[in-house]
Amino acid sequence: MPPSGPPSSGPAKMCQSCHVRPVGTYRTATQAGPGGQREGAAGLTTHAPQAAQAVTLPATLDEAVAALTAMPAAVPVAGGTDLMTAVNSGQLRPAALVGLGRISEIRGWQYQDGHALLGAGLTHARMGRPDFAALIPALAAASRAAGPPHIRNAGTLGGNIATAAPTGDALPVLAALEATLIIAGPGGARREIPVSHLLAGVELLRAGELIGYVRVPLLHAPQVFLKATGRTGPGRAVASVALVLDPARRGVRCAVGAIAPMPLRPLEAEQWVAQLIDWDNNRAIVPEALTAFGEYVAAACIPDAPPAEDGSVPQLPPAVLHLRRTVAALARRALGRALS
Amino acid sequence: MSNEAATATTTAEAVPAAEPLPHGLGASLPAADSRAKTEGTFPYAADLWAEGLLWAAVLRSPHPHARIVSIDTSHAREMPGVRAVVTHEDVPGSPLHGRGKADRPVFASDVVRHHGESIAAVAADHPDTARMAAAAVIVEYEVLDPVTDPEQAFEAEPLHPDGNLIRHIPLRHGDPDAAGEVVVEGLYRIGRQDPAPIGAEAGLAVPRPDGGVELYLASTDPHTDRDRAAACFGLEPERVKVVVTGVPGATADREDQGFQLPLGLLALKTGCPVKLTATREESFLGHTHRHPTLLRYRHHADAEGKLVKVEAQILLDAGAYADTSAQALAAAVAFACGPYVVPNAFIEGWAVRTNNPPSGHVRGEGAMQVCAAYEAQMDKLAKKLGIEPAEVRLRNVMATGDVLPTGQTVTCPAPVAELLQAVRDFPLPKLPKDAPEDEWLLPGGPEGAGEPGAVRRGVGYGLGMVHMLGAEGADEVSTATVKVQDGVATVLCAAVETGQGFTTLARQIVQETLGIDEVHVAPVDTDQPPAGAGCRGRHTWVSGGAVERAAKMVRTQLLQPLAHKFGMSTELLQITDGKITSYDGVLSTTVTEALDGKELWATAQCRPHPTEPLDGAGQGDAFVGLAFCAIRAVVDVDIEIGSVRVVELAVAQDVGRVLNPTQLAARIEAGVTQGVGIALTENLRTPRGVIRHPDLTGYALPTALDAPDIRIVKLVEERDVVAPFGAKAVSAVPVVASPAAIASAVRAATGRPVNRLPIRPQAAVVTGQ
Repeated sequence: MPPSGPPSSGPAKMCQSCHVRPVGTYRTATQAGPGGQREGAAGLTTHAPQAAQAVTLPATLDEAVAALTAMPAAVPVAGGTDLMTAVNSGQLRPAALVGLGRISEIRGWQYQDGHALLGAGLTHARMGRPDFAALIPALAAASRAAGPPHIRNAGTLGGNIATAAPTGDALPVLAALEATLIIAGPGGARREIPVSHLLAGVELLRAGELIGYVRVPLLHAPQVFLKATGRTGPGRAVASVALVLDPARRGVRCAVGAIAPMPLRPLEAEQWVAQLIDWDNNRAIVPEALTAFGEYVAAACIPDAPPAEDGSVPQLPPAVLHLRRTVAALARRALGRALS
Repeated sequence: MSNEAATATTTAEAVPAAEPLPHGLGASLPAADSRAKTEGTFPYAADLWAEGLLWAAVLRSPHPHARIVSIDTSHAREMPGVRAVVTHEDVPGSPLHGRGKADRPVFASDVVRHHGESIAAVAADHPDTARMAAAAVIVEYEVLDPVTDPEQAFEAEPLHPDGNLIRHIPLRHGDPDAAGEVVVEGLYRIGRQDPAPIGAEAGLAVPRPDGGVELYLASTDPHTDRDRAAACFGLEPERVKVVVTGVPGATADREDQGFQLPLGLLALKTGCPVKLTATREESFLGHTHRHPTLLRYRHHADAEGKLVKVEAQILLDAGAYADTSAQALAAAVAFACGPYVVPNAFIEGWAVRTNNPPSGHVRGEGAMQVCAAYEAQMDKLAKKLGIEPAEVRLRNVMATGDVLPTGQTVTCPAPVAELLQAVRDFPLPKLPKDAPEDEWLLPGGPEGAGEPGAVRRGVGYGLGMVHMLGAEGADEVSTATVKVQDGVATVLCAAVETGQGFTTLARQIVQETLGIDEVHVAPVDTDQPPAGAGCRGRHTWVSGGAVERAAKMVRTQLLQPLAHKFGMSTELLQITDGKITSYDGVLSTTVTEALDGKELWATAQCRPHPTEPLDGAGQGDAFVGLAFCAIRAVVDVDIEIGSVRVVELAVAQDVGRVLNPTQLAARIEAGVTQGVGIALTENLRTPRGVIRHPDLTGYALPTALDAPDIRIVKLVEERDVVAPFGAKAVSAVPVVASPAAIASAVRAATGRPVNRLPIRPQAAVVTGQ
């Protein structure tokens, strides 16, 4: 069995902080407790760490890739907000971990010909701050909505992409921005794939590869991220809409999150509404177009059921109809706010 | 104890010359353990440790209904590190246990009746090993169709030898032919709330040299847990001891015996201490939930809005085992009309067995579900008659001397009208329109999708009532001992401090009676005489009463020699700040001097007046006392998305007497917030009997942002003469009334019927405007 941990201060120490009398007086078993005994009642965890676990803490992206290549069974971990939940519930038992928290090169961002190169290790908390919000407002809004403070302090942009949960709040924003991922591979190799390709499974990460950076265009125009949740406090999205304006190309780009395994792009609705906007006149639009856009987006993302054999169109279940109404309201509000 | 003592000393030293610390009844005495709890050093059951302990894991059924063909534990036993595996074959004593009725197997032997039922348990030298070994127990199931719709339970094959009907109460009161000019009807559904204690279940079992076992548990009813455990272990109760550890949250019977019993069995079998800490998932699977309820109502009223008759059918889904469903049904049927005068009532109530997870005591059980329904009916009546919702309620409210549908006369104070007027007349919260728009907290929260143009505000009311203490003839007794030595008093009472503030109250009572400021409350174990379960305001009443009596006996012992010496009665002497003085000031001495090195002990019991079970027509004096509350809810609803934010809840409550203002406010705030959860988000979904999302992401509890502004508008202090100190239970009744008030407010904002709790977003959407 695993060797015991740091020199044990003994169970007597434990019991000083207990208001029951020391239970250690019953010496009915002789073997030492597994996992070692740590000081203080608060130090006791339900899930004692596995003593044999290997943790690597590389300082650069290439070292991290090398560590992953050297030990293919190792799992990279950044914020750990998803990974550790799986470990704690017993669904995942990583043989080794490669911690990405010390790679300073991916914890900030830099500018590159009209784009921002965001490090995958940027936390939601960092992205939520005003200086970042001035650059990419929708991503900042999504980061602020991404959970309670302790999750936002730990969770990262790269982790949000790698987990690819349907409710990942950054994902619709990245889809609407048509972001590109820069993947670090063995031997210093770098390749680029569009974020939608990874989310849709068109291209996958290969063994030893890590998401290094996310390249996002700087559009210098209003962007909106709206999210409907079940409660007022932080919660998983029932539906979310990210909408960005691209005034240089006179385009509107919109992505709907949480209602499908990956963010959905209503391309026809985007093109249709972009022509209705008077780009030269303060981006004016008739209010009816907002409503129509919302419904266009909702119908594109949540289509009617296919007609039955007798030609009748079956009704969608009430919960799905409500979801469609929610998406329509979010898309309408998002466009309205972006153009106001 | 060391913690509490240390905290008390530091606090005393920190403020040496400042104002004296609050003491006695009516003062806001802080809890002795609050500092340790805030700093995270307070030890809960999950923090306990014993040298050489083993870790337990429980194998639970993945199916809601299945026949067990075989259980093969050989692979699990052979795993390195595994010390014992127990199944139904290893239960030496009674194979069945249960709170209300012993109908639940310790381990399923032939049939599993709900998702999460225990089948086997493993002790190993590492928690991971234990879990893996539990997963390696091979169980062959023959999966059966689950009965998950309580309406089908009547017709279904019996799920249990005891049958599917757990209790039926056909309450008949008054004239069945009475009819009103106005009739309103409704069908209501209440979801399944989980008590979701902040700390999941945990425990430590330590074998004793005499062949018995000690269980370190966060139990709220240690003696009953001990008796049941002893019966299952085949031991005399004296050889099983339950030691109560820190309780991390209890709004219900928090403990799941389905893991206490395996823990003890494993400790007895291995001879080693065994620890188990449940994961959040196991916690959801293991403990009991609030009864999902289906209610059908018909209210008859005259043209003035006075109620003439109420007809109702109430169906409680008890889940797979009876637990306390019979008691919940009694409360549901008795309070089916609410705190209103109803001359004629015909209420049929059933609690039925299904393959859903078992339901049990969660505070306000029975009363909460009916409150949501009868208040919805009052709203319908108001709409139909064109009267203000508050007004139609006011025309019907109950007062002292009125008769409940059970035939019991309300003898305690029942200031319902006063409560309702207080919340109605309280100024409404301002609209945020003068504040900058980005500071508005709209439905959906900050960074949410809320849009001011789509938000409608609504105001609604809820009047709730609960009974205090056990009902229908339950023996509600508690015993307490008070000891005084060297000017320090100690209280020994097996009433468990669950965070409800009993230890603080006990200290206040002793301070008040004996004039001694330094009072300690000893930790609880079953070597002390029983004090019963901590629910329905029991401990304030019976344990508080017992502490007061014991303290008074000590006082008499202390003062008798002095009084005798000076030839006066003990009533003429008083104790303040550790000094004894006579009424005329002639005598002045200190408690320490009067004690003269002696130790004074006294033990007393408190037993309220007896009650009787409801008879075949649901009639009987079943309740010791009643508590009431009125809540006005103000909500904002985004009528396009259906998101709801509770802006403010104004509470007026009948409390009898305020014993500790801070603690009282905290209890009301906690209860109201639990009610917000029932109203809006908390619903443990079990499609086909399987619990979906047993975690705190899928099961959304209210957060700080969901908690509304809670305004305690009025606390009516009309003392209940039969209760010690005249105080009433305060925790449960806000839970009962707040969901009804919120639903009523959403109804007012949207015009939608809102007949289901929690309120789904699609039920709060206004379409086609």
